[in-house]
Amino acid sequence: MDKRGKQNVLKRILAIRGMGQVITVTIGFIILCIVFGLVNPIFFSGKNVANLLRQIAPILIIGIGQSYVLITGNIDLSIGSVVGMSCMISATLMTKGVNPLIAILITICCCLAVGVLNGELVSKCKLPPFIATLGTMTIARGIAQIVNNNYNTGSIGEGAKGFRNFFYYGKTAGLYNAIWITLAMWIVFNFILSKTRSGRHIYAIGSNIDAARLSGVNVHSTTIKAYLVSAICACTVGLMTCATTGMGTMDAGNSYEMYAVAASVIGGVSTLGGQGILLGTVIGASIWGVLQNGLQFAGAPVAIRNITIGIIVVVSVLLDVIVRTGKPRKKKMNPVT
Amino acid sequence: MNIPINPKNHPCFCKTGVIYLYSARKQYIERLGIVMDEYIVEIEHVSKSFPGVLALNNVSFNLRSGEVLALLGENGAGKSTLMKILSGVYTKDSGTIRVFGQIIEDLNTKKAQELGIAIIHQELNMCAHLTVAQNIFLGQEITEYGMISDRKMNAEAKKILSSLNIDIDPEMVVGDLAVSKQQMVEIAKALSTNAKVLIMDEPTSALTSKEIEDLFIIINKLKQEGCGIVYISHRLEELENIVDRVTILRDGEFIKSMSFHETSLGEIISCMVGRDIKEKFPRVTCTRGERILEVKQLNAGRMVRNINFELFAGEIVGIAGLMGAGRTEMTRAIFGVDSKDSGEIILDGKVVRIEKPMDAIKCGIVLVPEDRKKDGLCTKLSIRDNIALPNLDILCNKVGIVSNKKEKTMTEKAVIDLKIKLPNIEVNAGSLSGGNQQKVVVGKWLRRKSRVVIFDEPTRGIDVAAKVEIYNLMNELKKQGIGVLFVSSEMPEVMGISDRIIVMCDGKITGELNTDEATQDMILQYATSFDKKSADLMSS
Repeated sequence: MDKRGKQNVLKRILAIRGMGQVITVTIGFIILCIVFGLVNPIFFSGKNVANLLRQIAPILIIGIGQSYVLITGNIDLSIGSVVGMSCMISATLMTKGVNPLIAILITICCCLAVGVLNGELVSKCKLPPFIATLGTMTIARGIAQIVNNNYNTGSIGEGAKGFRNFFYYGKTAGLYNAIWITLAMWIVFNFILSKTRSGRHIYAIGSNIDAARLSGVNVHSTTIKAYLVSAICACTVGLMTCATTGMGTMDAGNSYEMYAVAASVIGGVSTLGGQGILLGTVIGASIWGVLQNGLQFAGAPVAIRNITIGIIVVVSVLLDVIVRTGKPRKKKMNPVT
Repeated sequence: MNIPINPKNHPCFCKTGVIYLYSARKQYIERLGIVMDEYIVEIEHVSKSFPGVLALNNVSFNLRSGEVLALLGENGAGKSTLMKILSGVYTKDSGTIRVFGQIIEDLNTKKAQELGIAIIHQELNMCAHLTVAQNIFLGQEITEYGMISDRKMNAEAKKILSSLNIDIDPEMVVGDLAVSKQQMVEIAKALSTNAKVLIMDEPTSALTSKEIEDLFIIINKLKQEGCGIVYISHRLEELENIVDRVTILRDGEFIKSMSFHETSLGEIISCMVGRDIKEKFPRVTCTRGERILEVKQLNAGRMVRNINFELFAGEIVGIAGLMGAGRTEMTRAIFGVDSKDSGEIILDGKVVRIEKPMDAIKCGIVLVPEDRKKDGLCTKLSIRDNIALPNLDILCNKVGIVSNKKEKTMTEKAVIDLKIKLPNIEVNAGSLSGGNQQKVVVGKWLRRKSRVVIFDEPTRGIDVAAKVEIYNLMNELKKQGIGVLFVSSEMPEVMGISDRIIVMCDGKITGELNTDEATQDMILQYATSFDKKSADLMSS
C-alpha cells in the first residue's frame, strides 16, 4: 500500500509540466555541490552556506521576475537598471532624512511605473519587447544617475539602521532576513503563477497569443501584470543592494537582466514563452550562485568564472533540447496525424 | 520495353551542386515515359513506433509511375507518418524501402530529395518574406560568379511556373499571395528538385473549388509526364476526378489497396472506419423557437458590409460562400475580435455591446475559430489548460484561485463527451492528431452555458468519423435550444446539416435559402454574385 502511494506521488511530480529539465539541472546542481565540497571542505561550512544563500537571493528574485515575463513570450531588459534605480532612489531619499518606510514606498511606486510603461509599450504600442525594454533600460539607468546629480550617495545614515537590519544584517530563526524575503516572494509568485487565473493567462498568452485572446483573455492587462511582477522583483533587489552597501551606487544591478535570463533559462523557462516553472528558476539561480561561490573558493580567477557560467547556460539548454528530441538542433516535427 | 534505370548514374540524380534546369527534368521524364506503370516506390513491412504509440505496424505500400494514388485513413491512421518516413523526415524501425528498385537504407530528407521524392506538407512551409523565386530555389540557389543571381532564378522560376500553367509573378513576395497561390508555389518548388514522387498532404484543405480545379489540371499534367503522386485527403468527393488507386490505412495497419474505379465511396469509408457509417449527415428536426440573435446593419472593414440576419433557437444556420467572402471576418466582428464600424447585435431582445471577445463570452456568444493552430489551441499547454482557459471564470473562486478538482472534472467530462483519444489530460495539446486537436478546440467552448455557438470551418482537415461526431454535437446544441451558426466551405455539409443557409459574397449577404429548396447550383450562383463594381475591381 505504502509503496504504491509513493509511486503515485512520484508519478504526479513527474507529470508536472516542465519537471523534466528541473530534474536534469537538479542532478547537475547536486554534482556541482559535491565537486566543490571535495575541492574545498569549507564550501559546506555553516558560514559559507549562509553566505551562499545570501548570494543566491537577489539572483533568484530577479530570476522570478524575468521568468514571469519570459513565460508570456516577452523579455525584460530593464531589470538591471530598475535595480539600480531602486537602489539610488531609496538611498537618496534616506540620506535626505526621509523615513525609510516612506522612502521604500516611493521607490516601489517609481519601479512599478517602469513596469507599467514596459507593459504598455509592448502590448498597447506593439513594440517588440526587446526594443521597448532596451529603451526603458537606458531610461531607468539615466534616472538612477540623475537622482543624486550623477554621484553615488553617501552613507544612508543612522536613521536607516532598521532598514539595513531588515534587509541585510538581521536574522530570523537563524537565517538572514534576505533569505526569508526571497522565500516569501517565491511562494507568493509561484502560487500566483501555478494556481490562479492570472497565472494561467500568463502561460496562455505566451503559448499562443491569438488563441488566448479568442478565449477571452485580456492580453493587455496580463502583459502588464507580468512586467509589474518583474519590476517589483527588481525593486526588492535594489532595496537589498542599498541595505547591503549602506549607500546608493549608480551602477548597482549592472547586467542583472542577463543574469536573470540565465537563471530562468538554466531552470527550463523557454525564451519563446509558454513553458517553464519557478522551481526551475530556483535551481537555475542556485547553480549560478554555487558556481560563483565555489569557483571563488577553488581559487579560479574572474575570467574563468565567467567562461564557466557561459558554458553552463549553453549546455543546460542544449541538454534539455537533446533530452526532449533525442537529437541536438533537430527541428520539432509535427506529431502523428 | 522496360529499361531499368539506375538513379545514381542518371544526370538528373547526380548532385554536383549544379542546378538542374527544367528542360533537363523534362528530358528525363521523356525518357521515363518508357517505363510508365513501373513500381517506383515499394515499401515493405515497415513499422514505426513513437513513445507509447505504435504508429505503423507492418505496413506495405507501393506506387507506380504515372499514377495518382490516394492514401486514405482516419486521423491518426498513420498516413502522415508513412509519408514522413518515405520523405526521410522520420526513420523507420524495421522493414525495407525500395525506390526505383533499389533498397534504400538510412533515408534522410536530403537523400530523399536526391532520389526525387518531394513532399508538400499540410501546413505550408514557405518563407513569407522572400519572393516566389527565392522560395522555389531555397537551398539550391542559382549562382553566377559566386554570387546569387536573382535574375537567373526569376527566369528559371518563370519557366517552371509557366510549364505548370500557373500565373504568378516570380518576383512577388510570398506573404502577399493567397493561400492557394502559395500552394501552387510549393508545388513548383517540389518540381524544381526534379521530383519523380510527389506526396501531397491535404493539398485542397485551404482551396476554393475553382482553385481545386486548377490544382487537378496540374496533377493530371504531372501524371502524364510520369510522376507518381501520393494524394492524402479527407475530401472523398474530390477523389474521383484524379485518383487511379486507393490505399487505405487504419490504426497504423495496412487495410486494402484497390483500383479506384472498381470500388465505391461506401466501401472506402467502411474500410477506413472499420464499420459502416449510416448517415454521413445526421439530421434532427426541432421546432423553431424564439429569436435569439439578431444582427443589424453590421459593418466592419471592407469584408463585412451591411450584414443583417436573425438566428432562432433550435436551428442551425449555415453560412456558405467562397473563400474570402468575408464569412470569417463576420464571425470575428460578431465575437468582438475585430472592431466594428457600425451595427447592432441583439441577443434575446436586448442590445449587447461587444468590444472584445470577453464581452461576447460573458453574454453567451462563443466562437470556435477557423484556424486551430493559430487561433484555437495553445499547443505548448496541456489539454487540461486548454479546455480550462475560456472557462476560468467558472473554475475560479472569488480571489481568482483555480480549483484543481473542478478543472479536472470539467476536462475529463469534455474528453468523454467528445471521445477525444489521448494518453492523459496532462499531455501537450500539440501532440494530438489533427482531429483530436479540433475536438479539444470545440470542447473548450461547450463547457459553459451559451446562447449562440459559432462554428467556423469546424470539420476542416478531419476524418469522416470525427466529422460526424462534430455534426452530432451541433445537433445536440440545437436540441438544447442553442442557436448554432455554421460556417463551411464544403457545400454538401452545409446543405446536409443546416436548416437555413445564408450565402455570402464579397462581404455581403447575397442570398438566403431554406435547405429543402437549396441546390449546389443556387448556392454557387449566390456565392459568385459580385456586384459589377467589385467584379471589375477583381478582374483588373
